[in-house]
Amino acid sequence: MPVTRHRLRTPGLKAHERRTGFLLLVPALIAFSAVILWPFLQSLKLSLYKFTIDMEQPQFVGLQNFSRILTEPGTLTIWLNTLVFVVATTTLTFIMGLAWALMMNQSFKGRGFVRAASLLPWVLPTTVTAFLAAWIFNGQYGVLNAVLLQTGMIAEPITWLAEQKGAMAAVIITKAWLSVPLFMAFFLAGLQGVSSDQVDAARVDGCENAGVLRYVVLPHLAPTMIIVTILGAMGNLQAFDVIYAMTQGGPIKATTMLSVEVYKQAFQSWDMGTACAVGVVWFVTIAVPTVFYLRILFKREG
Amino acid sequence: MLKILSWQSRLIFAAFFIPIAAFLFLPLMWMALTSIKPEAEIFVRIPTLWPSATTLQNYVNLFSRGDMVVQLKNSLITAGGGAILTVILATYAAYSFAKFRYRGRKPLMFLMLSAQMFPFAMMLISLYPMLQWAGLLNTHLGLILAYIILALPSGTYMLYSYFVNIPTEIIEAARADGAGELYILHRIVLPLAMPALVTVGLYSFMWAWNDLLFSLTLITQPDLRTVGPGLLLNYIGESRSDWGGAMAASIVSSLPVVIGFAFLQRFFIQGLTAGAVKS
Repeated sequence: MPVTRHRLRTPGLKAHERRTGFLLLVPALIAFSAVILWPFLQSLKLSLYKFTIDMEQPQFVGLQNFSRILTEPGTLTIWLNTLVFVVATTTLTFIMGLAWALMMNQSFKGRGFVRAASLLPWVLPTTVTAFLAAWIFNGQYGVLNAVLLQTGMIAEPITWLAEQKGAMAAVIITKAWLSVPLFMAFFLAGLQGVSSDQVDAARVDGCENAGVLRYVVLPHLAPTMIIVTILGAMGNLQAFDVIYAMTQGGPIKATTMLSVEVYKQAFQSWDMGTACAVGVVWFVTIAVPTVFYLRILFKREG
Repeated sequence: MLKILSWQSRLIFAAFFIPIAAFLFLPLMWMALTSIKPEAEIFVRIPTLWPSATTLQNYVNLFSRGDMVVQLKNSLITAGGGAILTVILATYAAYSFAKFRYRGRKPLMFLMLSAQMFPFAMMLISLYPMLQWAGLLNTHLGLILAYIILALPSGTYMLYSYFVNIPTEIIEAARADGAGELYILHRIVLPLAMPALVTVGLYSFMWAWNDLLFSLTLITQPDLRTVGPGLLLNYIGESRSDWGGAMAASIVSSLPVVIGFAFLQRFFIQGLTAGAVKS
């Protein structure tokens, strides 16, 4: 490795120190290449092949998988499902996470306990969350229907998970429930940086709570909001476990997101070529928020 | 920061607090209550809030089945192994990115971070034949290796932003005293970075403990199953209607992470968000 040219730029660091620096990276680099990068590149390649369970070797078919999935109307439905899920979940989680963080930033008796306890939805295993949700949304004995019936908001019980729209709503609400704590944690950290001088100055200028929020707190949180939205969108695009455990993508394909479709094509139909082609569509979709995220991180680094 | 003194502002506070608190906590209470209800009280259209006769039968049944304990053990081994491995790899990588300058540093860091946009299932598709070839399907080790995928990129970034904020002067002073690079990292930097290490460890443990996708695919042998798929396969399918049992099993399988969190949550919020907001 030609280090001499580099020495001029960073004279403080000797060549052997640079070598140590790179050597420290090597174990992670090997692991990263073996379990992340290589499998990903393999799957990209596989999207150009036909490879089903009855075949010994994958067979090159060019862009056939793509032309097939992109002309199927089902693919658009799945992509739109994903979009609806991601936008609705991220928005819902954002609003509740922000409101909850603002309240958890006030001092009141028992705040420490409530704060810690509000991490619970995020800590529970996803299968547990899915179970709990399935039980609450249960059409026959579910407590949600009972509450809605008792308060007269519905006349007939709703079979949430058996109806297309009901299942989507249930999945969105459940994913939002388990992500609120994470969003709250991010907002809380952002709130630590609000200067009390500015708050006081705004009060002297005659601002009430609403004014303090609008002119001091929320502008200060703007960078956090962007990061949280992007990370939330990325996370929701990756979401598989809670959706699969609740609905297996059904009824029909109402809650089949790109993640569920790839899993089903790969490990239920064992059609790896199609699975990887859908995976590429999924990858391109996640790439949109990720590029923004990386730009922010690297800009910050200078 | 906000003044909640007048009755109007108290009212507004309550108007936001109560619905969100109910949304977050009532489901958890319902899980606990369902788990101690006798069957007759579970299958009613309009359920009682508080069970008129509490029972621990669901928990007794759970432990007499026995497979729960095995699954908890499997989850502890694989999630713990995955977390330890992730922390070790991420620590050295993050320290290297943060405190050294060499050719290719930025591109490599960029590559590792952009891995967050690789869909998990896509890596799984090609990892599956690799693990099969290596004889690691249906082994703890295979699953542990797969769990690196979940948190290595984001964990490296969290630790990176922590290390960047540790003053370089400390390191240079130690170098001037003749301390070796590894000595500096292990004896001087790591003790300072403990909260970050705990956070990343806990973060990757959580990811692995919560995992369904990898475990469902890479493990098919019942005695190696982890809690996620274990719960799913036990309670959905054969006896779909045993909701009391399912809730009891849910509570028991959540306990290890809940207890871990109770001790470490303070570090966690600090460490998790350090990279995203500050620096």
